[in-house]
Amino acid sequence: MNQTTAVAGQLSAETSRPRGRWRKYAWGYAFVLPAVAIFLLFLWLPIVKGIVFSFYHIDFVKGNSYVGLDNYKLIFKDPDVGTAVKNTLYYMFLCIVIGFWVPILFAISISELRRFQGFARVAAYLPYVVPVVVLYGLWRWLYDPVGPFNAALEKIGIAPISFMTDKSWSMISIVIMETWQQFGSAMLIYLAAILSIPRDWYEAAEIDGAGVWRRIWHVTLPSIRNQIGLMLLLQLIGTSQGYQSQLAMLDGGPNNTTLTYALYIVKYAFNNFNYGVASALGVLMFLVLGVLAVIQHRLSNRGGNAA
Amino acid sequence: MKNAERGIISSYDMKKPLNKAVYVLMCIVVALMCVSMLYPIATALFNGLKANVEVNTFPPHFLPQEWHFDNYKKGWGFIDLTLYLKNTLFIFAGNMVVTVVVIGFAAFSLSRLDWPYRKAVYYFFLATLFIPPTTYIIPNFINLRDLHLMNTFWAFWLPAGANAFYLLLLKSFFDGINQELFEAFRVDGASEPRVFWQLAFPLSVPIFATLAIFVFAASWNDWFWPSMVMGGEHYPLATAIKKFVIDARRLDLNIRFAILTMIMIPPIAIFLIFQRFIVRGLHLGGVKG
Repeated sequence: MNQTTAVAGQLSAETSRPRGRWRKYAWGYAFVLPAVAIFLLFLWLPIVKGIVFSFYHIDFVKGNSYVGLDNYKLIFKDPDVGTAVKNTLYYMFLCIVIGFWVPILFAISISELRRFQGFARVAAYLPYVVPVVVLYGLWRWLYDPVGPFNAALEKIGIAPISFMTDKSWSMISIVIMETWQQFGSAMLIYLAAILSIPRDWYEAAEIDGAGVWRRIWHVTLPSIRNQIGLMLLLQLIGTSQGYQSQLAMLDGGPNNTTLTYALYIVKYAFNNFNYGVASALGVLMFLVLGVLAVIQHRLSNRGGNAA
Repeated sequence: MKNAERGIISSYDMKKPLNKAVYVLMCIVVALMCVSMLYPIATALFNGLKANVEVNTFPPHFLPQEWHFDNYKKGWGFIDLTLYLKNTLFIFAGNMVVTVVVIGFAAFSLSRLDWPYRKAVYYFFLATLFIPPTTYIIPNFINLRDLHLMNTFWAFWLPAGANAFYLLLLKSFFDGINQELFEAFRVDGASEPRVFWQLAFPLSVPIFATLAIFVFAASWNDWFWPSMVMGGEHYPLATAIKKFVIDARRLDLNIRFAILTMIMIPPIAIFLIFQRFIVRGLHLGGVKG
């Protein structure tokens, strides 16, 4: 903020000499120009093209032809779109039920550790560093009908579960795998927030007679409220677009139970080669997700100011 | 000293048996978490050292009964890992250069230079953050095709400059550098590119290191997008592994795990060495979920 005065000073000094001023701005424009060009070409152009393509039939050989709203009509008649939306909502729901509270719980627990705190932190984050392709190979084996999970289940006397091919388990298995991989990064963010809470607040709460649970409920959790809200939104934005694990582990199967909306876009394009409909699906998705993104920006700004 | 050490639980709380029991239980849960994080990684490592018959036994063993180090040699020969490794590093290097030159200069200009409509250009960059990438993944693909970038490394390098998140990180870092340093440099007659290379860039090495880790992780991890825009001989490691190892029908499990271990080790090693920068990156961004 304190540089505004310096800038204003420069401005008033330079306005009397337009040519000198232009020369002064030249570097500013020159530095920003390549980025503007690249953003235009590789972000804004595809975004605009997506809207245009949604009204076209795309044919790489014969050229594109305008089809009006046909792509959208097709989408609203396609029963698989409904399935994909339902699966995506189910996936988002599972990610919250299975995964959202895990990093908060462990951040609080690890912050209380007197020893091995660094080790626990590294251990929790380590899976996040494992490349996702390794993750797929590894968890396919862990989930195998004769893999370690089923061996453990057998030992405690539970009938084996086909984690991948059972229709009611396939999505849950994917969410468990992703939680295993990803909770560490969210945990570190919560942990940093928890460790920055002034210790005196706990002291004061304790003197007022608050037990451990009430200190967590009334001091710790309210202090990381902003982070929780932000992570929730980020998770919703992220999971609503999820498709890679579903594609790599099960290709949307068994029987379309892991066919998410984003996966359906990809499949429409690269299995059916119907790029127009895929673009239209993307536009519809944007209309829904854009709202979430704006809320996230509002929240993260508020979080920044509060912190 | 006690004050500095206390967390939510104080030493007084620990005298109550119930609290103590809960604390012990909590430690056990954390320990279990650590084990469940490390166990799968360790099984990948050990499965890569077993005989194939042993990987397929039920119930599985954790440690190999015989150690087969030659699995690694077989795995190395199974696909041309050197080629894909070279591609990956090539992509990473190019992406990094573009990130420094394109995004670095733009962030510097937005943060430290003064020109009209700066705010508007800033929002022009920022607005791209609101558009979820999956929604334009298909037009993006067609766009690269229209630009004749398919199957060239430029299909990665150029779009690497279109990252508003990195731009934001760099701009906020430049904002934090003392303004007088820049003025002193300019008074001495340094041109703006010199100010960038000799002042802004050296002072920002920590943030560029953090970005380097992000960029490296992305080039090492991304498998789907390269599989769409690249042909076989240009695949990065992740895509090659996905196509030729994970999806392979006839490949012994022990060899498969040996290959997976080989590509898992470098990022883990880098993480353990550069932890500091990674954690800093998380704090700075706080948004890259």
